[in-house]
Amino acid sequence: MSLALSTLLFEWRRYMAAVMALALSGLLVLAMTGVFIGIGKGFTATIERSSADIIIMQPGAKSLIGGPSGVPRRFIPLTYNHPAVVEVQPLDGAGGTFQSIKEVDPTRSQADRAKQGAPRQKFVQSSIIDTTPGSVTIPTDYSRELVDALRQPYTVAVDETALKTLGVKLGDKALYNGQTVTIVGVTRGYPNMMQPGVVMSRDTLRMVGQADTGPRVGPLMIKLRDPSQATIVAAQLNEMGKGQWKAWTRQELADANAGAMFEEGILVIIIGGCVVLGIIIGVAITWQTLRGAIMANIKEFASLRALGVGMGSLRRIVMELSFWVGLVGVGAAILLTWILSLLARSNAVIIAMPPLLLIVVGGGLIAISMLSGFLSMGILKKSQPADLLR
Amino acid sequence: MITKVHGKHGDAAIEAKGIIKRFKSGRGYVEVLKNVDFDARHGDLTMVMGPSGSGKSTLIAALSGLLRPDEGTVAALDQPNLWKLSSGKIDKFRLDHCGFIFQGFNLFPSLSALQQVTTVLKYQGLTPDAAKARAKLALEEVGLGHRLHQRPAALSGGEKQRVAIARALAKDPQILFADEPTSALDGENGQVVIRLLRRAATEHGAAVICVTHDPRLEAWADRVIHIEDGVIIDDQRRSPDPEALLNSALAPH
Repeated sequence: MSLALSTLLFEWRRYMAAVMALALSGLLVLAMTGVFIGIGKGFTATIERSSADIIIMQPGAKSLIGGPSGVPRRFIPLTYNHPAVVEVQPLDGAGGTFQSIKEVDPTRSQADRAKQGAPRQKFVQSSIIDTTPGSVTIPTDYSRELVDALRQPYTVAVDETALKTLGVKLGDKALYNGQTVTIVGVTRGYPNMMQPGVVMSRDTLRMVGQADTGPRVGPLMIKLRDPSQATIVAAQLNEMGKGQWKAWTRQELADANAGAMFEEGILVIIIGGCVVLGIIIGVAITWQTLRGAIMANIKEFASLRALGVGMGSLRRIVMELSFWVGLVGVGAAILLTWILSLLARSNAVIIAMPPLLLIVVGGGLIAISMLSGFLSMGILKKSQPADLLR
Repeated sequence: MITKVHGKHGDAAIEAKGIIKRFKSGRGYVEVLKNVDFDARHGDLTMVMGPSGSGKSTLIAALSGLLRPDEGTVAALDQPNLWKLSSGKIDKFRLDHCGFIFQGFNLFPSLSALQQVTTVLKYQGLTPDAAKARAKLALEEVGLGHRLHQRPAALSGGEKQRVAIARALAKDPQILFADEPTSALDGENGQVVIRLLRRAATEHGAAVICVTHDPRLEAWADRVIHIEDGVIIDDQRRSPDPEALLNSALAPH
């Protein structure tokens, strides 16, 4: 084990401040970015977990969230021309008002009614599934019972994190766009902090009058005979489309959706601010901690100098030390963010931790730590072996 | 006189001429070393004695390439003038040829006794295995063969100083500088340490230069140099008594 590593392990208390500073800087950036990616995921979870291998959208669409993504209905039979395609269903969905049903005295004042828990109108996002068994629009984690229940007309499912917001429970009746629906299912793992969502069948959506019936439909979700061929088939479909559409594999679309949030200027400013703040805090505290820690061992460094170990070698020790501090800081940052994401998840907030984000932030933290090490190198000049001779 | 790297006992190892060192003090300068000539030989334990502030520590700092003198030359081993070299070359010279023992032990708290020694050896370019073997040997020589894996916190003062000596001796230095090596130790441990220095001179042929103000150490010395106010006032050769006892309480009655 090297001198730097064993010093870090043995005197970990001395380096704790630096590790914590790095961990908190990392947490700031990871949590902020993760929340925004999570908001995006909240809107697209049903698609990302669907059994669609390929999604076809307009050629200009950059993601599912931003921009026009729907296609002409005639594309459905066109895509069936590819022999690998077994099912094509257009994605559909709408927004509506949602209100729980509860008897309250209408003669009371509004404030009193609110105290009694009078129902309030909420806006919800509705998404659909086809209730044919094994349909491409059914998310992979839906149970057979849930699909069977949703097959009944005028039924909806709600995520467990939205139950409180909407003021309903399993089996309750509620009003969706003024029409009575029954809550027949509760899903888990589809939180959306911005807007609660409900799931219904395509038939129910049609019955409440919101289904696409015209010449244009939503993005096409396509199931393949062999999902492992998705990349190849997507390329072939693009060729067949001659530029009329663009076929995405599910993974490509998921990545694009996560990135789409960051085309919003304000998000870039918020996250950019967090990054700058994180760097300043991280460098300042890590630098001073490393300086203090080196100063505490300055006599030992000076004795190495006396024995002929050059300044360059001592600098390398400091840089190695700051690298290890950075690495521990990355671990602590990821751990803290993970704990926070568990807490957040129980309150319908998703903090997403995609590997790319972890790598970028982790690399940034190590860079901060190395920069701090570089800055604190000046203190080594105090390692004058002549000072030991007195 | 010509200094040599691998000299026989009695060959010159280090020779300084006309060393002058001044320190700034207020508006003027204090001359700490006043035109000092000094030499030390292979196989000798040379004791430099003097009261505090006499310039003895400054002298060995100048001899060892740690503190540049204002005037004078230092010929050491194969270098006709140490202070003509770049600071990197001086570091390399110390790495290859010099050992250092300080009054404080200056051991890294996180490293075991064995690691303290191997760390320096690795910088000399030894492979980890070779460094480990040599470090073990050095620690056994100072009587710490059973304490290889203890950290400084678990070692007594005497044991710490012996680790520091092993760290200096493992390099097999031709010149060994020791600055008040016994003053932080009790009589018994001081005796162990001075005997180790004696052995480094006799058995390894190193030129051992030991700065001290403890007159009892004189008994082990081949040569005793007294320095006062930056001037060498006395330079005597004597026959060392390796069996001398430091602590009068330990002497047989």
